[in-house]
Amino acid sequence: MSAPESSLEPPPAPPPVSTARPIVEVQNVTKSFGDVVAVSDVSFTVGPGVTALLGPNGAGKSTLFRMLCGLTAPSRGTVRVLGEKAREHRNVRGRIGLAPQQDALLDRFTAYEFVELAGRTHGVADPSGQARQSLAYVDLDPEDPKRVGAYSKGMRQRVKLAAALVNDPDLLILDEPLTGLDPVQRNRMISLFHDLGDGGKCLLVSSHVLDEVARIGSNVLVIAQGRLVASGDYRRLRELMDDRPHRIRVHSDDARKLASALIGRGVADGAAVRENALLIDTLNVDRFGRSIAPISAELGIRLREVVPTDDDLESVFRYLVERR
Amino acid sequence: MSGSVSALRAIAITHRLLVRQLVTKGRIAALLGVGVIVSLVVALVSRAVGEDESAEEALEVGIEVMSNLGFTIVVPIVSLVFASAAFGDLKEDGTLVYLWLRPMDRWPIAVGGWLASVSVSLPVTLVPLTVAALIADVGSELVWATVLACVVGNLAYSAVFMLLGLLTKNSVVWGIGYILIWEGLVAGISGVGEKLAIRGYTRSIIAEQTGVDLYLGDLSLGIAIVVPALVVVAAVVLSTLRLRSLDVA
Repeated sequence: MSAPESSLEPPPAPPPVSTARPIVEVQNVTKSFGDVVAVSDVSFTVGPGVTALLGPNGAGKSTLFRMLCGLTAPSRGTVRVLGEKAREHRNVRGRIGLAPQQDALLDRFTAYEFVELAGRTHGVADPSGQARQSLAYVDLDPEDPKRVGAYSKGMRQRVKLAAALVNDPDLLILDEPLTGLDPVQRNRMISLFHDLGDGGKCLLVSSHVLDEVARIGSNVLVIAQGRLVASGDYRRLRELMDDRPHRIRVHSDDARKLASALIGRGVADGAAVRENALLIDTLNVDRFGRSIAPISAELGIRLREVVPTDDDLESVFRYLVERR
Repeated sequence: MSGSVSALRAIAITHRLLVRQLVTKGRIAALLGVGVIVSLVVALVSRAVGEDESAEEALEVGIEVMSNLGFTIVVPIVSLVFASAAFGDLKEDGTLVYLWLRPMDRWPIAVGGWLASVSVSLPVTLVPLTVAALIADVGSELVWATVLACVVGNLAYSAVFMLLGLLTKNSVVWGIGYILIWEGLVAGISGVGEKLAIRGYTRSIIAEQTGVDLYLGDLSLGIAIVVPALVVVAAVVLSTLRLRSLDVA
């Protein structure tokens, strides 16, 4: 994989990920459905390698992927894959492999029949052989007589992946491909993604799970509320997120006394008492974690619960988008 | 490794895929059941009349019953069920993407969809209606008229309802509306409505072939065949354009 040269910038003006040989070019793309803006003025380019598209549910990831594949046209802006618009050029469609997010498959087909059909519709020279190879990539048995309608969620995901691989595409678009997979399968698939990326393919893989993205790709595009809010190297993103203020809820038998002690000793940057719970804001969550128990013991305060309230992905995106 | 798919191959792939999707045990059983019931009614009524009336009157009654049940209900409804589902089902359940995002032109996909609809609906209607015409035993004219009208009706209805499946979400409801309201009412009171009703052409084929006067059956055989053929071409072209402009889930 030749990683795009990129730098992670804080919002509000995310830069494009630039590449020497862009496979995907998205320029000022907006997509609206009536009054709802699903994607707003997004620009980036992506080259060979694995790039993760990170964003909460409803952020616009699938809409962006659909535009890349030409399944829907942008309201404004241009989307090019391999220099062409997939909606208009059938040869470009043959160089894309898509594993869509929705669970829909041709349920009356076996896995082999489904993937072999994908090969035939792509015009591959040996659809049968290629289908067997693609199924082997995802650890599925081509001889399995069971119909995919009877498959588990994880097996269906792997069937979609095999179908996306069958035409040996230059661009693989995988929309939440790890959903429903067990940990062993996840590791196997992530390893496969990296192998394909190292082989010169361009993989765009979406996820709403932060830790998953860390393993999928070092290059990330972060999308929230339809906007590209950050792009670049994952480690820089992680550092940025670790620098954000954290909010922690503490239940104890003396919230006010504990609050003044934590602020007085510089462990907390802000505190509020709501419904007998102490809400602490801190920029140094590690120090807070090390200090809360000794300070409470010293003051004779009994701790009942210490819970981070904003470790969810939504709060990360909120921070990236709004800096709060 | 991926290459483009030739038009003929795309038609064959689409046809094979959609036939497999369309043919479900439930659908075939239900529609064959309707066809058999209608056929029995046609046959029984014709034979009952034939016992009391002259051969000419028996033929007229047989033709009237066949036209009203076979070509007003059975052929359009069966075509509607299969043709609207050809792309409509794929569009609704999100599997159209597996046909759409491929290096295939759109027109062979539309042609393949139409052929798949016809491949399923034609035998389901042709067999029971022809058997009914044979059982009615009112002359070979009715048998040949039934076969020809059934083929023409299936070809035309399938193209129109396939397009409807691509254009609307509730295509069966819209299709039944067309069959009942447009073909059933508007065609009878408006000259333009009559020209835009496929039923008029199938009835004209029956009337022309048997020599029996039928309501909405006053077109020549040539027109009754050529116009539905043009309807097929127009509907397939519009389906192609719709496939090009469609937002695929």
